[in-house]
Amino acid sequence: MENLSISDAPPPPPGAGGPMMPPGVLGRPPQPQQLPAQMFTTAAQLLDLTDKKLMVALRDGRKLLGILRSWDQYANLVLQSTKERIYVPPGPKNPNPNRGLYADIERGVFLVRGENVLLLGEIDLDKDDDPPPGYDVGELKLVQSLANQRKQEEKNKEKHKVKKLSTLGFEGENLGDVMF
Amino acid sequence: MLFFSFFKTLIDHEVTVELKNDIQIRGTLKSVDQYLNIKLDDISVVEELKYPHLSAVKNVFIRGSVVRYVHLPANAVDIPLLEDATRREASNNAGKAK
Amino acid sequence: MADVGDEGNAVSEPLDLVRLLLDEVVLVKLRGDRELQGRLHAYDSHCNLVLGEVEETIFVVDEEDEDEEIKTVSRKSEMLFVRGDSVVLISPQSRS
Repeated sequence: MENLSISDAPPPPPGAGGPMMPPGVLGRPPQPQQLPAQMFTTAAQLLDLTDKKLMVALRDGRKLLGILRSWDQYANLVLQSTKERIYVPPGPKNPNPNRGLYADIERGVFLVRGENVLLLGEIDLDKDDDPPPGYDVGELKLVQSLANQRKQEEKNKEKHKVKKLSTLGFEGENLGDVMF
Repeated sequence: MLFFSFFKTLIDHEVTVELKNDIQIRGTLKSVDQYLNIKLDDISVVEELKYPHLSAVKNVFIRGSVVRYVHLPANAVDIPLLEDATRREASNNAGKAK
Repeated sequence: MADVGDEGNAVSEPLDLVRLLLDEVVLVKLRGDRELQGRLHAYDSHCNLVLGEVEETIFVVDEEDEDEEIKTVSRKSEMLFVRGDSVVLISPQSRS
């Protein structure tokens, strides 16, 4: 890796010229940086999250809750004790239109391919047992059917929008892929 | 590598990451890697009611490929330095391409 | 490091044009029905960009409206990193 430009420019504060940890911990050469270079790898970022309870948002809109047990540089993940959680935001068809609903499905062990990952969030265990503000637990069947309805409506809206905006020379952002 | 280096200079600054699915997540930039995957601490979400799955989440790892924008604090960016670095990177790449 | 002599103003490949736009106001068209206008401060070969004093225009279909007119929404940002895979085109633009 070449050392280009910006990283060289700000003069390092006295005594912070090199990596603070022993170089080569993750098999990379040290870089002239204020912070140790090995902090700035995918591995280092995911290492912090290992064995933690995570919320994983996927590209198709699914939300998984589980414990991260293994991963690699592509952010392929192995999750243990996974639950899929379905959310329905507040809306006119909900039993109480001003409240959202959610329900869980037990899924077990998942291997998730990295390219399908939107983001990983570390769950604050203090807040884990509280339902999200504005949401109540719902019966799974009800939540599923509401969620499916919602998804279909969104799809139709999106289709319509794409058609309309194509007259201006725009095209959709996630071709063939509905993201939530 | 230009933007990788650039983001490293913004570590510990408050940024707002906007994803391609319109979620906006504000937080402290904690880490970045060569794919521009981003780690944010102490996050808050714009329109929380719409995105309940982030309510119990304290820090996130965002896959670089799903980022649309990162809103940056202008005062944290040294513009002349950044433009010089861009020119340097451009001429380096021109050399390599041929 | 540059071993190319014609580094100055020559445009021999597409991104050379973008180099000439550094520190100028540009129009950027994006996927997802968006356009940006702002001063170009950085770019790379993936078309990742940094723009300053940005005005974003989003094109939306108004469903309340009978005719479903296309409306625009404007947003401002003081400094914006734009991921290259959303970029459709970059064009010089003097601000009107």
